[in-house]
Amino acid sequence: MTAAVDIVPEPVQRRPNYRIVVEQGFALARRSVLSTWRTPGAWVPGLVLPLMLAAVYSAQFAQATKLPEFPPVDSFLQYILPASVLQSIAFGAGNAGTDLATDIENGFFDRLMASPVARQSVLVGRIMGAAVFSGLESLTLIIIFLAFGAPVRSGIVGAVAIVIIAALLSVAVGGFGVAVALRTGSPEATQSMFPLTFVFLFVSSAFFPTELMKGWYQSVAQHNPFTFIIDPTRRLVIYGWSWTDVFQAIGVTLLVACVSLGWSYRMYLRRLDVK
Amino acid sequence: MTAARVITDRPAVRDGYSPRLPTVAWMTRRNLVRIVRMPSIMVPMAIMPLFFVIAFTGSFDGISHVPGYPTDDVINWVAAFALLQGSSFAGLGAAGALATDLDNGFIDRLLVSPIRRESILVAPLVYAALRALVPITIVMVAAGIRGAAMPGGVLGVVLAYVGGVGGGVVIGAFGLAVVLRMDDIRAMSVVQTLSFVVMFPSIGQVPLVLLSGWMHSVARINPVTNILRMSRQGFLGPVTWADTWPGLLALAVGTIVFGLWASHELERRNP
Repeated sequence: MTAAVDIVPEPVQRRPNYRIVVEQGFALARRSVLSTWRTPGAWVPGLVLPLMLAAVYSAQFAQATKLPEFPPVDSFLQYILPASVLQSIAFGAGNAGTDLATDIENGFFDRLMASPVARQSVLVGRIMGAAVFSGLESLTLIIIFLAFGAPVRSGIVGAVAIVIIAALLSVAVGGFGVAVALRTGSPEATQSMFPLTFVFLFVSSAFFPTELMKGWYQSVAQHNPFTFIIDPTRRLVIYGWSWTDVFQAIGVTLLVACVSLGWSYRMYLRRLDVK
Repeated sequence: MTAARVITDRPAVRDGYSPRLPTVAWMTRRNLVRIVRMPSIMVPMAIMPLFFVIAFTGSFDGISHVPGYPTDDVINWVAAFALLQGSSFAGLGAAGALATDLDNGFIDRLLVSPIRRESILVAPLVYAALRALVPITIVMVAAGIRGAAMPGGVLGVVLAYVGGVGGGVVIGAFGLAVVLRMDDIRAMSVVQTLSFVVMFPSIGQVPLVLLSGWMHSVARINPVTNILRMSRQGFLGPVTWADTWPGLLALAVGTIVFGLWASHELERRNP
């Protein structure tokens, strides 16, 4: 009788599903941030290369800021600030996909699937981790640019807005990497996404105003989604605070995020064989 | 029959060592066969130079409006930079091939065979030079289609090729030294980063007169500036010896210095 009482499980207080997903998502995001932090090779290039390119371009194109088509900037460094932040994110967001592909390759993903972990939290955790890390990286970049004489005219609130835009953009770009990782399960294939992001970034208003471009290149750059995100972000840096610019940058980023996360969720279901 | 043919194909051993030229030719052919078996190796080498031409001329087209810019079409200025960047992939590829051979033990097997040590280094450099012809030709054709001028004539074209091939060989020699030093395929990312770090602070996109501050000082003494000046002169005007010899000197010094370093690193590995 006593034994029978012993094996009867205690009544478990059921928590709502969304809470479980959020808690487990946070735990996996923390793991993702820590593992990225412990691998400097994964995040140092994302900080150093945009800084290097910014240093080179600001010295090379200093005279170009005097052209009438150029926006009224203090220096080319101020002009290139949003581009450098986005470039850094392109690196960081790529890591989210590569890390997931590595998890798939080394079997950690399968062990997670075999454990009683909420299915959505695996995706949420990975992408949330990349967003947190991208936010930190962009904050670091803004501080470094400020130290070298490239102020954000919209002040601290503007800088916070740029960090939020950057974090959201890392979710949007990272979603594509995660989708490729889930589709292929190969870190190499996922890494090959990075040059594509770089091409998208180059053919936009990131490094030079579209007003100074010509022909088909100008048309492509003007209609590139990155341009719709970079231009309002740049206006926060050059002109000052504007709700319209903040909403435009966040709105376009969320739109891209919907596409990439939708694709990655589809790939996730395919990998789990849930159709 | 087949075995006999294979044996006679290989360089004959004389004086205890295999002869230099046939060994280099055999090892270069081995690397070229790798391209035939894995054509994907060529994809970055073919696409990146095209991307450089399109991106540099598209994004920075407006820079030619700045007073003091030496040409009214930016392609005449950046074509030389694009071909040097393209050929750097050839050098990186040669170093990557050596890194793979180190990884799979092929180099160690060569070191215990009666092969002259310098052949192990010369063959990847010949391979780099041959590979460099592909991105250079792609850039030259793309630049021609984009409307680049060549007032320097045939000599201008030849010097563009010399600069590109030489640049690929120098980066290849540097890559070999770093790969042999680090003994790890991850050395490739170091080689790639350092190559680009050296290439950008130069007159790649903007002439010296328009550069300011630290960039002007670095670009003035950067040997890449001399190589670019030599390769570019045909796009801007007639070829002169004054713009040619510093580039040739930079290529020769780079190849010798990095070649000697690579040779020293290879000696260290001697069993």
